[in-house]
Amino acid sequence: MTEDQIYAAIVEIISQTLDDKGLDVPEITPATEVLGDELGIDSLDLATLVSELEKKIGFDPFAKGFIEFKTVGELTKLYVR
Amino acid sequence: MRMGLDLTPGDDTPLVARGEALFTRGDIRARADDLSAAITERGVSRVLVRSDDSALIFEAIDACDRAGADLFIAHTTIAQDRIEAICAEHGIGLVLNGELDWRSTTQTPADGRIYMMTSGTTGMPKVAGHSLESLLAKAKAGVKRRPDQGGRWVLTYQPTGFAGIQVSLTAALWGGLLITPAERTIGGFYHVSRHWNGTHISGTPTFWRSFLMVADPTQLSLAQITLGGEAADQPTLDRIRKAFPDTRVTHTYASTEAGVVYAVHDGLEGFPAAWLESAPSGVALRIKDGFLQIKTPNMMSGYLSAASQPLQDDGWLATADLVELAGDRVKVLGRDDNTINVGGSKVYPLPVEALILKQDGVIEARVYGQPNPVTGALVAADVVLEAGADEKTARKAILTACREALPAYSVPRSLNFVDKIAVSAANKKG
Repeated sequence: MTEDQIYAAIVEIISQTLDDKGLDVPEITPATEVLGDELGIDSLDLATLVSELEKKIGFDPFAKGFIEFKTVGELTKLYVR
Repeated sequence: MRMGLDLTPGDDTPLVARGEALFTRGDIRARADDLSAAITERGVSRVLVRSDDSALIFEAIDACDRAGADLFIAHTTIAQDRIEAICAEHGIGLVLNGELDWRSTTQTPADGRIYMMTSGTTGMPKVAGHSLESLLAKAKAGVKRRPDQGGRWVLTYQPTGFAGIQVSLTAALWGGLLITPAERTIGGFYHVSRHWNGTHISGTPTFWRSFLMVADPTQLSLAQITLGGEAADQPTLDRIRKAFPDTRVTHTYASTEAGVVYAVHDGLEGFPAAWLESAPSGVALRIKDGFLQIKTPNMMSGYLSAASQPLQDDGWLATADLVELAGDRVKVLGRDDNTINVGGSKVYPLPVEALILKQDGVIEARVYGQPNPVTGALVAADVVLEAGADEKTARKAILTACREALPAYSVPRSLNFVDKIAVSAANKKG
């Protein structure tokens, strides 16, 4: 997967998560903070996001321990190989 | 008088139906006579039967009972090397699996017991001993109502498991017919149920959910439906009641170690909280640290290997089943080893499964933990929908219902729609 495809996948999953929770889906950019106030994402949602991404992309960058990140763009980079 | 299987030579009452073949009580008695003589002649004190053929299991029980030998009943799913280890450890001199496999071994003194095994899916199976008499007494106590006499029991449980043996002995004791399919598939069970006009079907809730998908209730004339082997959930009990409004529905709690502990007939999941004070049939029940503990008159008569349900110092048996007192009912939440730990919060799969099963179009659900780097685990669910049901609508309905009723950490985060859910040989969800 290219970086663009990974980014698109992350945006899609976040949008689906927010929609599932009955929340509005705001515009998401690479600078959007994943756990920031802008999105209503909590740690359980983040756990879900990571597990969905592993399914989609086929690997888990957190397999050896959690890596800190803030924005959607930073999260995307973790999946680029 | 000592109680035995009481098979009379020449009796042409059918005892076992296998596919479309019938075996009479006399047939099985004649075979047991030969086997008993051979066991005595060879001086063998311990026999192991490993077969799903109920006629052979009856033959082995009767032969060993009259020869005074111990009988080990092994699942066909136990691997050969483990069978060898069990034979060596316990001094077994004869293995029955369709032929007579005599072994030379150091003789172990026998006391005429029947030893049954746990599934042993994760290691050596655990072995628990019972006397035939106590097993028969339990089977006798379990049947009190007249229509049960001469009933025709469909054996859906593993023929070698505790529940399977219990159903088999019940049929034998009451002059009934034990109906077994040629193929242990849901279609096979339905076919023999109709062919032999089965009146009693006992199965796991997982079995029943599948059976309801295949069976046309008008084609069956059932007097008794029993659920056992797993905790019965309300949606499944309701579904059975709807399909078979005139049939008595019972759910039971039993285990290899303790035997049948209780039977509930009111169509509600769990058992009445009043039973914590005083339960039927001399059984005592209590909740300790969230777990169900039990005391029964027909408790196992000793282990040959490490106990899966340890006996406490005060004589109570600790189960691995977590229960919850909810008003006037005690509900079973599920087994401790199935508990999912989501970021430190405990999730019991059973109530989540029950909630999913309640939604339109859902016929089966399995809830389990999925490893996760953020929270340790997440709740995941595999769901089977009715043919033609819309996945998108079902997904929305399931998630909405779960969000309304459950804390956020219990809500399935991964919902997979699948064609079928794997079940074990004992018809339990894995």
